[in-house]
Amino acid sequence: MAALGRLSHALLRSPATRNRRHLSAAAAGGHGEQTARTWKILTFVVALPGVAVCMLNMYLKEQNHSHEMPEFVPYSHLRIRSKRFPWGDGNHSLFHNSHLNALPDGYEGHDD
Amino acid sequence: MAHQAHAYHMVDPSPWPLTGAIAALLMTSGLAVWFHFHSTTLMILGTILLLLTMFQWWRDVVREGTFQGHHTPPVQKGLRYGMILFITSEVFFFLGFFWAFYHSSLAPTPELGGCWPPTGITTLDPFEVPLLNTAVLLASGVTVTWAHHSIMEGERKQAIQSLALTIALGFYFTFLQAMEYYEAPFTIADGVYGSTFFVATGFHGLHVIIGSMFLAVCLLRQIHFHFTSEHHFGFEAAAWYWHFVDVVWLFLYISIYWWGS
Repeated sequence: MAALGRLSHALLRSPATRNRRHLSAAAAGGHGEQTARTWKILTFVVALPGVAVCMLNMYLKEQNHSHEMPEFVPYSHLRIRSKRFPWGDGNHSLFHNSHLNALPDGYEGHDD
Repeated sequence: MAHQAHAYHMVDPSPWPLTGAIAALLMTSGLAVWFHFHSTTLMILGTILLLLTMFQWWRDVVREGTFQGHHTPPVQKGLRYGMILFITSEVFFFLGFFWAFYHSSLAPTPELGGCWPPTGITTLDPFEVPLLNTAVLLASGVTVTWAHHSIMEGERKQAIQSLALTIALGFYFTFLQAMEYYEAPFTIADGVYGSTFFVATGFHGLHVIIGSMFLAVCLLRQIHFHFTSEHHFGFEAAAWYWHFVDVVWLFLYISIYWWGS
């Protein structure tokens, strides 16, 4: 809608006023010819390196992880089964991971 | 041949609103049938009908706007209002889930141990995958802006590259989040923590997938020369939706992942 307003406003202007580029117009990216290039630079200098840094951070942190299973305590406020899940045996959540997610009785394959 | 003496679009009769409504009915009743009678037939039928409706309805909108010239400036203005109102309704949708989260976490009940996170919950480290996810979505906001300016400046190749990059980042987010869901030490059944976490982030993930599909359609349309430098509202709507998805994530990250850990 803002672009529409700027479009009709530009059409109504005289050639003399149209050529005066205000800094704010260029920054807002209304009709600046350089703006695509600006965002391209931002993409490859800021945005994608930012993602790369976070990926590196993850890789480094993963190495310091302990890969133990969380301790199982049969709390009644967790692992709630008021109604069976409508798939499988009804006792496993959709993203169940037997190494990390205990069932209400304990981890699978363990007799605690 | 008769010509209209106004700039508005009197839409031809269409069956898609009816098929869409029927699809919604079949999907919802199908969900109930699945839960109680363990049959997925009705739900799958409803989903297929929904997909067919979406494909054909939006194909018709593209035909009307891009090829038949019905999307005059006043019509486009109406479409803009429509998209803004829709996104606003989605904001309220998410507001509800944030309300549920804060209601439960600001005054944790004795059943949870009187603390948040509840006793026995091992939370995710907000500075691992969630931080990466934040960087990915913020980066995709930059790339979609690059795409927009490329379209406005008639830079066809750059528009295609930046739009493809945006979609790739969207898929990367979805992949990372799916991995997180599998690697999480808690499930949706782990009390109100699990419920609020997975419902809020789950609906957000669904919106990321929807937004990625919307952008992918825009990519196909850009490749097929549908957009002009002055008229590309479909893309703008997709970009608005994408920014909305990004903002919802930022709120999720700050509230649930960081403050809630």
